[in-house]
Amino acid sequence: MSRMSVGDASLTSILQRQGAFLKGEVQRASTEVVTGRQSDLGAGVRGDFSPLAAIDASLARLAGYRSTTADVAFFSQSIQTVMGTMADISSEVATSLMRSASLTTPTQVNAAAAEARARLGTAMAAMNTQVSGRSLFSGVESDQTPLGSADDLLTALQTAVSGATTANDVEAAVRTWFTAPGGYDAFYQGGAAASPIPIAAGETADLSVTALDPAFRDTLAGLAMGALLDLGLMSGQQSTRADIAQRAGLMLHNSEDKRALLAARIGTVEAQIEGAKTRNSAEDSALKIARSEIASVDPYDASIRLKEVQGQLESLYLITSRVSRLSLAEYIR
Amino acid sequence: MSITSALSSALTGLSATSRQAEVLSSNVANATTPGYARREVQLGAAVLAGTGQGVAVIGVSRDVDQYLINERRLSQANDGERGLTAGFLGQVETAIGTPDIAGSLGARIAEFDQSLIEAASRPDAEARLALVASAARSLAGGLTQASDDIQQARVTADRQIASEVDTLNTSLKRIYQLNAELQSFTGAGYDVSALMDQRQQIIDSISAIVPLREVPRGMNQVALFTTGGVTLLDGPPASFSFSPTSTITPEMTIASGGLSGLEVNGRPVATGGATSPVLGGRLAGLFALRDDLAVAAQGKLDAMARDLVERFSAAGLDPTVAPGAPGLFTDQGAAFLPVNEVGLAGRIAMNAAADPAQGGALYRLRDGLGATTQGPPGNASLLGSLKLALTGQQPLSSGGFVAGSRSFASLAADILSDASARRLNADSDASFSAARLTALTDLEKQGGVDTDQELQMLLVIEKNYAANARVIQTVNDMIKTLIGLGS
Repeated sequence: MSRMSVGDASLTSILQRQGAFLKGEVQRASTEVVTGRQSDLGAGVRGDFSPLAAIDASLARLAGYRSTTADVAFFSQSIQTVMGTMADISSEVATSLMRSASLTTPTQVNAAAAEARARLGTAMAAMNTQVSGRSLFSGVESDQTPLGSADDLLTALQTAVSGATTANDVEAAVRTWFTAPGGYDAFYQGGAAASPIPIAAGETADLSVTALDPAFRDTLAGLAMGALLDLGLMSGQQSTRADIAQRAGLMLHNSEDKRALLAARIGTVEAQIEGAKTRNSAEDSALKIARSEIASVDPYDASIRLKEVQGQLESLYLITSRVSRLSLAEYIR
Repeated sequence: MSITSALSSALTGLSATSRQAEVLSSNVANATTPGYARREVQLGAAVLAGTGQGVAVIGVSRDVDQYLINERRLSQANDGERGLTAGFLGQVETAIGTPDIAGSLGARIAEFDQSLIEAASRPDAEARLALVASAARSLAGGLTQASDDIQQARVTADRQIASEVDTLNTSLKRIYQLNAELQSFTGAGYDVSALMDQRQQIIDSISAIVPLREVPRGMNQVALFTTGGVTLLDGPPASFSFSPTSTITPEMTIASGGLSGLEVNGRPVATGGATSPVLGGRLAGLFALRDDLAVAAQGKLDAMARDLVERFSAAGLDPTVAPGAPGLFTDQGAAFLPVNEVGLAGRIAMNAAADPAQGGALYRLRDGLGATTQGPPGNASLLGSLKLALTGQQPLSSGGFVAGSRSFASLAADILSDASARRLNADSDASFSAARLTALTDLEKQGGVDTDQELQMLLVIEKNYAANARVIQTVNDMIKTLIGLGS
């Protein structure tokens, strides 16, 4: 049977439902326009969050690497500064010591020895530098300074060379003290080398340099041998003193190679850090772009949709007002 | 035949039109009343001694389409169940959290990962260790929160089942009473339309709870059956019983005896599965939520918690931890045992030894959980291992997942994706059943009162009334004429 009538409640409920639907759409579209985010992210990625979660995890990790690379860069820069100081000191003192030996006047040797002693203090102070509460060359014992005072070092060294009678003996004793266990090793207050620091995904920076590095041992040995002269080693034996000064100068001079090697190693790490920084920030922007493609809405798209739904809602209002006036009761008064 | 019979015919016309006007006014007044079925006066020619004698009111009929109503009721039940499922799965997705929301599990994992990287570069810095501790605590807290949300949903479902069962029982009793009243009034020959409207409304109100079929019996009686085959009402009403549980823990299930099942007339019935007699309504939906969906969601969270605990208690990760002792994450402070997997997500906690909030010391994050004194402050090797433990690819110990190795973050993403895909599926099911219900409701409403049609009828009634009145006047004139003849 075909219907002869359509119930009043039918039209009311259809209009109500459409109104509610359109209002919901307006709300959704306006939220998306304002926040730039999808209102239902799950539907946006069709229930597969793996890519988005991977991107977010990488972004958080990159934020972590941003702070570690800053730390490591500052640390390695500080090491390079100390290395520069050491280089300056040793070349200066090496020149003085070697020149004084050739002049063979006691005062020249004395002056060079005094300089060596003073500069030993400077070098050790530089090695004891702390950067934001961390010693540069103490390894894992980062709260300790790696070395004690210059006077303590010289006192220990004096004992080591006390039996020496020739310049050759002195040099051998100094070398032994600085290389064999129980000497310089025992004087070192730091700990084992620190482990490498993560600077990028799967990449670490190895800044495991301590005061025990041969570059420092040799430099300090040369300076300390010169400084021993200032403490009256072999006093009165002018030629032996000159010989020792000569040998100390030479030892300092030869230490340059090892220092250069160390500086180059640190330089490589610095370059690695810079490279990691650049790569990290490039990855960061690439991931952010990829993320916005997945999770964000196109603002132009969203505003067009808002406009469209707005128009539909207005037409619905118009229809509602027109239709509700369409009643027989209006005409049969 | 005679003038008086013309007069009485016209009088029946007057009374029939008044009755029509009366019914019509009731229709107009109830034009938007839900559950009101349009009435119509049934007219017939009155026959007296073989000849027509005016019009007779045969009765008042209710204009209902019972087929449509039955379909709509089934659709209501279906919609109730689907809507419930979609709502709960949406809750699960929210409990895990999409990664763009701060405080979601994904965001908490990323934060923990980031804090471990930052601490590895400055193991001496207390602030960075404190960040690791707070991120670890927040990750454990996030799992507990999600687990609590799911258990809370179970408690709510349990309470709702109790209230639905209550509604069902009360409504069935009310329908039983109405049936009785209808029987006596129908027998006495009254207009019972209002009572039938009322009964229809009550049946509508329970049709979302269980899918039911209405079977007419004589004397305006109805019997109600669920589509699964339980007699709800055929003569006396069935009685449902259920006892709610106020606190629900993950271990509690129907099987373990911790939760109540459903009884009909004192006999237990299956609440889930294809043989369940209440299958396919809100009631079955609530049982499914409490006993299947929430349990499955909790299982995923427990698997995630277990993976986290096992990653950080692997042998050799932290040399200061004795074998069998808990790692960075614990089962309420104790070591995790595989038999205790159910509900682990609700109990997981950060190891108190390294958590300043529980009286522990931060340096144990760097030097080992079993360390008794502080070690070298620059030692980052354990922190580096912890980071690898979190991000390393590892096979899962729990069942129910696609085999393969995952990092912890991708396990979390898999679980979220699973929850989200289920939710989207349920959403599309729910919107399909909602659309079907809407269509049926619209069709039913189209058969409701149309005021325009009623007004048209009113015009006709008015005209008929005037015509009948005119007949009476004319007959009156005729009688007067007859009387005038004699004078």
